[in-house]
Amino acid sequence: MKAWQKNGVLIVALLAFGAARMPFEAGLSHALREASLTPLPLEIGTRDKIGQTSSAVALGGLRTLVATFLNLRAFSFFQEQRWDDVADTFDTIVDLAPRTRYYWETGSWHLAYNAASYYLNDSKMPALRRREAWRSSILKGRAFLERGIRNNPDDWSLQANLGFLLSDTNKFPAFRDANETFAAAAEAYRKSADTGKALSYVRRAQFYAFARVTGKEAEALTMARSLYAENKNRTPTLLMLLLILEAHENPSLDVAHRGIELFGTPQKAYEALGDHWQRTRERFPVYGVAAGLESLERSLSVPQEKSIFNKALQAPAGPDDWFSK
Amino acid sequence: MNTTSAKGSHLGRITVIAMHAFTQLVRMKVFYFLAVFAVIAIASNFFDLPQHEGPESVGINVLRSIKSWSLGTMTLFSVVLSIVATALLLPKDVEDRTLYTILAKPVPRLDYLAGKLLGVLLLVFVSLALMDGLMTLVLHIRTGIVLDQQIEMAHGMGWPQDAINSLKTETMAHAPNWSLQGAVFAVFLRASIMASLALLISTFSTSTLFTTIISFLIYFIGHFQADARDAYLQSGAVGQGFFARLASLTMSLVLPDFQLFNVIDSVIEGQAFPLLLLAKLTLIGLFYAVFFTMASWFIFAEKEF
Repeated sequence: MKAWQKNGVLIVALLAFGAARMPFEAGLSHALREASLTPLPLEIGTRDKIGQTSSAVALGGLRTLVATFLNLRAFSFFQEQRWDDVADTFDTIVDLAPRTRYYWETGSWHLAYNAASYYLNDSKMPALRRREAWRSSILKGRAFLERGIRNNPDDWSLQANLGFLLSDTNKFPAFRDANETFAAAAEAYRKSADTGKALSYVRRAQFYAFARVTGKEAEALTMARSLYAENKNRTPTLLMLLLILEAHENPSLDVAHRGIELFGTPQKAYEALGDHWQRTRERFPVYGVAAGLESLERSLSVPQEKSIFNKALQAPAGPDDWFSK
Repeated sequence: MNTTSAKGSHLGRITVIAMHAFTQLVRMKVFYFLAVFAVIAIASNFFDLPQHEGPESVGINVLRSIKSWSLGTMTLFSVVLSIVATALLLPKDVEDRTLYTILAKPVPRLDYLAGKLLGVLLLVFVSLALMDGLMTLVLHIRTGIVLDQQIEMAHGMGWPQDAINSLKTETMAHAPNWSLQGAVFAVFLRASIMASLALLISTFSTSTLFTTIISFLIYFIGHFQADARDAYLQSGAVGQGFFARLASLTMSLVLPDFQLFNVIDSVIEGQAFPLLLLAKLTLIGLFYAVFFTMASWFIFAEKEF
């Protein structure tokens, strides 16, 4: 056989072999992607950011190795408080390792907590700019976490972290509508608990967020009762919210009497109601609390000067106070 | 009588040539690389890298780091070794005149090529098995240490039992398991394809350097093959031009799809690697290796030296 004939046969065989394997390879590629075993192609922006050498390494199936190095770089940026660089680096890291929960949680934590706290305390910036930078960092942290959830919809921890962020006393004032924010927090906690992998506190956390949504008191009461049915859920906050939601459902309820039923003694009921009355920053509902406290103060003969109503309440927390100077 | 027929069988000849190629490569002191790997695997265990999170998650990052460093090194080593060793074999046999002695005997050329390839694959397999053993040992020991630390921390902080169990489950996902062994096997499969491809190139190449460079180029371009195939399969929907379709079709027909073997990243991240998918991957790996070996024989069969 002449050389050109040989080459011709080889080329035809190569193409025929390629055609034979193509459907199998396409199917296997799809199956591996479905099983989250092969990553999505790297975005061009990411290739630019990590440089040619790292791109070559990442292409060779060593993305997590490149992500490990970038994580070290992000830590240096964090130490130097270069928040934009931290955000950029974590964007690249999660493109390289989109299924590592740690990177999503850490990136979001840097933005929503560390960067936000930095702007809260940065005395070099004018108050108005600090306020906007603080708010923007928290929004970016939320968006980053939500992107992580879209990439890992079955991850209970990412959902729980979102719920935690949205119901955090120092964070929810960054969002325009508190009611919507608490509803979103409750929904994030619900999705986390529904994965079946979440810890037991997550369902209670869902309820604590849901109880703060105005207009959803009836559903929250149903949930409170269902949680109360299990002994392990009977935390002081759950007992108190159950009492308050019952008072909302039935305005003529004797809150003091029901409080004694739930907490055991008049003294314990008084302390629990008093503590709740003081928790103004968390924006929990307070239906019937004042009436219950008055009634218990009378029955416990609390002197007027020691009345809970004479103690100063916590200053309402919010950007208006934090950024007043 | 039986001994003679065994010696004369294809399998017997291939085994002898494979063992000779293996010995030849071992004498080139390639196993020295294992010392470097041992240092990397053990050192990655002691790297006190700065971390962003609390003590409960730092242990998991160390485990991820050990897997990441070890599998990364295995990938680089296996690809480099399979390409360079295969590219060296034929020219070295020509240079040493061993090839003439072998081919002067009644040794079919296919047996010679298959033996040489199996020798390289045996070397890669033994190297990977040793590296895998070391990685598994280091990971196993470190997982035990991390678990002990985490449980002590959790008890100290008064964590409830379900939280401790959940932390244990998450940590154990990063311990040595069958998915990790499957990922190492995927690394071997990719190296096998590269070795058989380098063998094909070396049958018509004029130098070792040419074979090495072309093989590495195909290795990197092969990681884009899946993109070309997707582009071709979806070209009708997006209205691609004729030449663009032809280019993507040619690329997807000619080049191997190395993206398929990029499962190690997901396994490092704690993803399970089902046996069925590993079996399919093995099948496609075999498919490539056999085809490239047969193509090598087709060219080598009538080559004159």
